[in-house]
Amino acid sequence: MQPLEDAPLTEPVQSLPMAAAMRLPRQRQSLPGGDSSHPLDASLHSLPLRERRANPSAASLFRSTLTPPGSRSASPAPSLSLGTRSPSRAAMSGSVFGGGGFKQSLLDTGAADSPGDPLNLILKSFVPHIAIHGSQDVNDLVAEKGFAGGLWELLRPFGERVQGKVAIRDSNGGSRTWEDFSVRFTRFGEGIEDSEPVAGGMRSPPLMAVNGQAGGIPKGPGGRPNLIAQVERVVDRHLNYAEDAYMGITSPTTPTRHSLDLDATSPYYALYLRRLLSGIPLSSHESFAHPVACVMAISSRNPSPIEALRRLYTETSSGEHRLPQWVDGDYLRYYVLVHDEERSDITKSMALFDQMKRHFGLHCHLLRIRSSESAETDDDSIPLPRSDWMTAAEELADIEKSESQEDFEDPTRHIFESDATAIRTFIREMVIQSVIPTMERNISVWNDQVASRRRGISGRFMSLSKRWTFGSSSRSSSGVGGSTNYDALGFYRPDTPEAIMRRLADFAFMLRDWKLAMSTYDLLRTDFQNDKAWKYHAAANEMAALSLLIMPQNMSSKTRIETINQMLEQAFYSYHIRCQSLYGAIRCTVLALELLRLRGGSGIDEAVRWGIRVLEARLMGPVGDALLKERMAICYASKQGTGSQAWGSRKRKSALWSVLGAEAWIAQSKFIQAQRCLNEARKMYSLLPGECGVQNFAVASDFLAHLNDQLKEGLRIEIPTRDDETDDGDEEPELLMDEESETLDRRRARRTSLIISSGGGGAASLETAPLTPLAPARLSAVEDEGDVASSRQDGFG
Amino acid sequence: MSYYFAIIGTQDNPLFEYEFGTSKQGGDGQPRFSEQARHLNQFILHSSLDIVEEVQWTSNQLYLKAIDKFFNNYISCFLTAGNTKFLLLHQPTGGGAAAAAAGGNSSSTRSSTSIGANPTSAATEEAVKNFMGEVYENYVKATMSPFYKVNMEIKSPVFRARVAAAGRKYL
Repeated sequence: MQPLEDAPLTEPVQSLPMAAAMRLPRQRQSLPGGDSSHPLDASLHSLPLRERRANPSAASLFRSTLTPPGSRSASPAPSLSLGTRSPSRAAMSGSVFGGGGFKQSLLDTGAADSPGDPLNLILKSFVPHIAIHGSQDVNDLVAEKGFAGGLWELLRPFGERVQGKVAIRDSNGGSRTWEDFSVRFTRFGEGIEDSEPVAGGMRSPPLMAVNGQAGGIPKGPGGRPNLIAQVERVVDRHLNYAEDAYMGITSPTTPTRHSLDLDATSPYYALYLRRLLSGIPLSSHESFAHPVACVMAISSRNPSPIEALRRLYTETSSGEHRLPQWVDGDYLRYYVLVHDEERSDITKSMALFDQMKRHFGLHCHLLRIRSSESAETDDDSIPLPRSDWMTAAEELADIEKSESQEDFEDPTRHIFESDATAIRTFIREMVIQSVIPTMERNISVWNDQVASRRRGISGRFMSLSKRWTFGSSSRSSSGVGGSTNYDALGFYRPDTPEAIMRRLADFAFMLRDWKLAMSTYDLLRTDFQNDKAWKYHAAANEMAALSLLIMPQNMSSKTRIETINQMLEQAFYSYHIRCQSLYGAIRCTVLALELLRLRGGSGIDEAVRWGIRVLEARLMGPVGDALLKERMAICYASKQGTGSQAWGSRKRKSALWSVLGAEAWIAQSKFIQAQRCLNEARKMYSLLPGECGVQNFAVASDFLAHLNDQLKEGLRIEIPTRDDETDDGDEEPELLMDEESETLDRRRARRTSLIISSGGGGAASLETAPLTPLAPARLSAVEDEGDVASSRQDGFG
Repeated sequence: MSYYFAIIGTQDNPLFEYEFGTSKQGGDGQPRFSEQARHLNQFILHSSLDIVEEVQWTSNQLYLKAIDKFFNNYISCFLTAGNTKFLLLHQPTGGGAAAAAAGGNSSSTRSSTSIGANPTSAATEEAVKNFMGEVYENYVKATMSPFYKVNMEIKSPVFRARVAAAGRKYL
């Protein structure tokens, strides 16, 4: 119970009296030895029992899903501005009801403000990456503070929100300020994707062989699915934890929600997306993960500071640690002197800092922090939040550690308030004075020198002539030869116009200049297609579609959706079929799905269509599948209808997807999620004009009832494995269930009458389904008599 | 190709349900839905009512053509004057290899040119339209019975037989 009490829960649980939660498990008496006989017991045993004793500190690992990131009450985000988009009869182009709402940028809709929202996730994930390369003495200093991961670990949480407003000039000279700018700190040289940028298929065989020799063993698709699998496993752990922590409380957070909450993303879905996006690999076909800047840090303890900095510099530009050759080596170097407030002399450090400035120019900073570890009890200590953007692998490692070690300690670290302030100032200064100006400068230079040349008339001719003169020959000679910048190496060197333009577009995207990004990606799409650089092609298409979706447009919604669909289609095909990049395919479709959903109107139908594509291609694991189904229900639910009949809404569709989601969750024994889905389906059905949902369809409503029974049983079985502290209970779960499912009961009554009358079709499934609500009760009664003795032996009594 | 035909009343209540398979190209007229597709079919059809309610305003025709697609299932709709909907769900056999294997005959390979293979083709639309037209005629006759009230289930065996005949004839 500890995790429940100390974790601040969402409103629904608070509304549920804790006392009710405490006296749940009547079934523990009525069904004492039931778990030994029940088919589901094996899986249930293996899962939660050990976590049962998991100490409370482990709860902090799962905080991200226990409390939805940033409680909703805090964000006054207008409800997705659905109101403003409420269908205007005039714009009935795409779908009949509700077409418009495309004139504004998605960023103005307010959805970007709530932390769990996918749009916000997208903005926060495609951000400038700053590599951190510290000398040994810096890492020692930080380790004394309790951060084994070095300076990177200390800085990382602070990069997730740069303090204050950040003003960014776009390519037209207009300036816009952002409150929520963030950067991502990475360890220098980590997360590099395998250097084999093309996955077979389209390459000519000899080149493949050469590449195979040169680049070692091409892992092919082996590297990518790992990431997906890791994400799946992390989310699965979170789900299990929730299942475990709430075990027996039949109405945990979500199910009591009274309406399908369109604004708050399911914490698990948000987590899935976040983990998917947090590990953007450093790869050749996109430059998001390429470092925009690199922090070179030394400490005041270093005996020969300037030499140390020089050595760090050479390590990043040459030597075995340098980044792969498709990464532009010309990124910004930022020099940091970490001053130890407790053991070093500030005057010396100041002198050294002046010297650094003379040597290395303006991109320097003196960071003053204390070297001792801050304890929780200290007056001015504040907890350092765990990074929201840790990768799936990291989180998985943490969770596994917490399970394997008896005395797992709370991973939350504390630092001194003064240190936090110093770091915040440092990051703000670095971002505002160095990183963003550098990026802006790069954008304008590249735009002038490379991209605008291509945009002009002559540029069009150039690409045309290239295509026709070389293109014909290279097509016949299966693409070998120096006709393009791509073929010889399998990637674009950083100094080729294509690579520069890609970087330009990525920078523009990171700085939220969607228009420039979009137009540049659009140029690149054709280039990459002509070069048959499929992964590049896929990535360019993906980002073009995303920026087109985010930016405000004047196109009619129909042409826009067609354009976007085409881009997505190409991106999906190139990622999935040509490159076997599961990660790319999933990322591209899921992000597009979210943005299309936010666009509303016919975008929602498109969004679901893409979701179905993902499901059809079986890109995700079981957890992802179920989450996606849940998400589709929300997609459809967010479509508003017109008039009193709500024509054009998708309530039935939404309910269908909720049911599918529930089915998927039950198959994985995630009963809490399943219950939530079922409740949403019920809610949706009750909102229909006839208020009867599928209850007149015999087989379908049987299935629904069957799911419900399975769910009840599932929730019931879990109770016996519960801790003994919560003894004083009677039949709360039953009661809650029944209260909630009045409609269901009504339906059930009608259903039985229907069964009698219809027979036939329903009969097959009836045989297997526990039919009446009485059945489980009978079961438990029988076991009550029979298994008391065995239960004593089991030690559950 | 398997079909699931349902007449839906004004309160989302099914008045009539009938499952059948294709009779063209050597089909035996038996549906080849998998066991779990049974309930799914009903869910899908029910959810398509959302689309019907939207699309009905775009067309002057009673026959709305194929309005919806759910994975491999296509849904055609015919709207009657009394706001009763005829929904036909068609599922090409190619959808699941298992389903084809269970079918056991070679019809699935031959039927690639048949109306069933491509649910959105003009030929299919035409066939479904004819089917719907014939069912509509019979529906009107059946509901003209003085004992029939709105939204009552249609239990007439004659009607069922006629729908089956129409299915054999056109699909």
